Amino acid sequence: MNDPLSKQATATDIARAVMSRKVKATAVVEAALTRIETGEPAVNAFTDVLGERARRRAAEIDGGRHRGALVGVPFAVKNLFDIKGLPTRAGSKINLDGPIAGRDASLVRKLEAAGAILVGALNMGEYAYDFTGENAHYGPSRNPHDTTRMTGGSSGGSGAAVAAGEVPLALGSDTNGSIRVPSSLCGVFGLKPTYGRLSRAGSYPFVDAFDHLGPLARSVDDLALAFDAMQGWDPDDPVCTDRDAEPTLAELGEGVGGLRIAVAGDYFERGAEAVALEAVERVAKALRATKKIVIPDAAVARSAAYVITAIEGSQLHLPRLRTRPQDFDPDTRERFMAGALLPGAWYVKAQRFRRRYRAAVQKLFEEVDIILAPATPCTAPRLGQVMMKLGGVEMAVRANLGVFTQPISFIGLPVVVAPVQKPNGLPIGVQIIANHYNEAAALRVARHLEKEGVASAPPA
Amino acid sequence: MPENKPDIGRLVDEAAKAIGLPIAAHYRDKVILNYERSVAIAQPLLEIELDDELTPGPVFRP
Repeated sequence: MNDPLSKQATATDIARAVMSRKVKATAVVEAALTRIETGEPAVNAFTDVLGERARRRAAEIDGGRHRGALVGVPFAVKNLFDIKGLPTRAGSKINLDGPIAGRDASLVRKLEAAGAILVGALNMGEYAYDFTGENAHYGPSRNPHDTTRMTGGSSGGSGAAVAAGEVPLALGSDTNGSIRVPSSLCGVFGLKPTYGRLSRAGSYPFVDAFDHLGPLARSVDDLALAFDAMQGWDPDDPVCTDRDAEPTLAELGEGVGGLRIAVAGDYFERGAEAVALEAVERVAKALRATKKIVIPDAAVARSAAYVITAIEGSQLHLPRLRTRPQDFDPDTRERFMAGALLPGAWYVKAQRFRRRYRAAVQKLFEEVDIILAPATPCTAPRLGQVMMKLGGVEMAVRANLGVFTQPISFIGLPVVVAPVQKPNGLPIGVQIIANHYNEAAALRVARHLEKEGVASAPPA
Repeated sequence: MPENKPDIGRLVDEAAKAIGLPIAAHYRDKVILNYERSVAIAQPLLEIELDDELTPGPVFRP
């Protein structure tokens, strides 16, 4: 077990120590606030630090209130989650003039009900239309492995804060890859659950058809702890499932016996740097996965996800594009403007294709339980880098870091990103993809890889 | 076929007028660039054929 006051401490370490009264929640919070203060000049993960609120909550816990599985665990959330008393920035300047949140987002309330302590709001790409973690208004979040490089986005602050050891647990959102891309580039564990599995109530939307929320953490146990605490129906999100919560933590240690695991070929092998494919190979070898499968029409799925995102996201922001274009981040403004002009026929075709693709992928899950694929095509690009070359083709960084994540979130499949570290190099993640509502299997696989030393968070 | 290549600049100008979205001159080039990128990325979707019976699933239930 790690020292609960250290950078390396996991949520599990902290909750155990606070529960057994080996350490006070107030001491844990002070240590986290100090780490944030010293870490921020380098990584720029936070936009709001809630010292007073966190200290008050910690004192209540030390006074015997708010017990739970995450007792005393400091956490932070991407700034598109409502936090009572703050405007919900969603990475924008415009939203600072918007309403002040009257209450915390649903998932914040659920984590706090389990004893966790919110310490702040995290930087993100404007309105989540981003895979880089850059932001013209608040500065880029910076990769703790090399602060001249991107964190990935749009949950860039979430990836940076966890990788730097500022907090052991963060929440992000993932529409096309915004949890999985920063998890990969920052080298931390991330969970994008099944679409509709966790409530999105009280979070600023991007693309309703694809928006998911989920945790990033330094260990698989912590992902499961947080996921279990956040499950459950919520009438305030019409998409949220009414299935009973299915706790995952208890079966994490069951290993991978009985799970049929395959590697995604074809589309998921093209246009990736060798480092991304090597990470998949390393993970597959550790899992003794030799089967290769082809997800049919993955390239079309990526294309359709892009079209739905551009049209839905741009429609959402059209009133602001008309009246305050000068207040948008220059890296999102013209993308949104172009998206607002795309033909509606494309959108409908993309939604029709989505049904066909879902059925085809469901069929694959009759043969396998888990599919492995790269999370990103490359390690973290340099900050400010606009173009990159993949598979010999020059392409825009901002639109293409998610080429391997988009075909998966397009149909709402649950994914755990397992981070593979490279000594003296940059980390990269592998997607562990399961069938709908089978987060437990993906988490078991990630836990096995962690136990075998193949996947791990960076030494903070 | 080069003669079939759409004039994206004109398309952007006219579509923006149609939906009442003013695009300042200094934003126009980047809007066109992004529209061209979108056309390229949309190609795989535009090229496939779908059965008429395949209805959309805008409210998606996994």
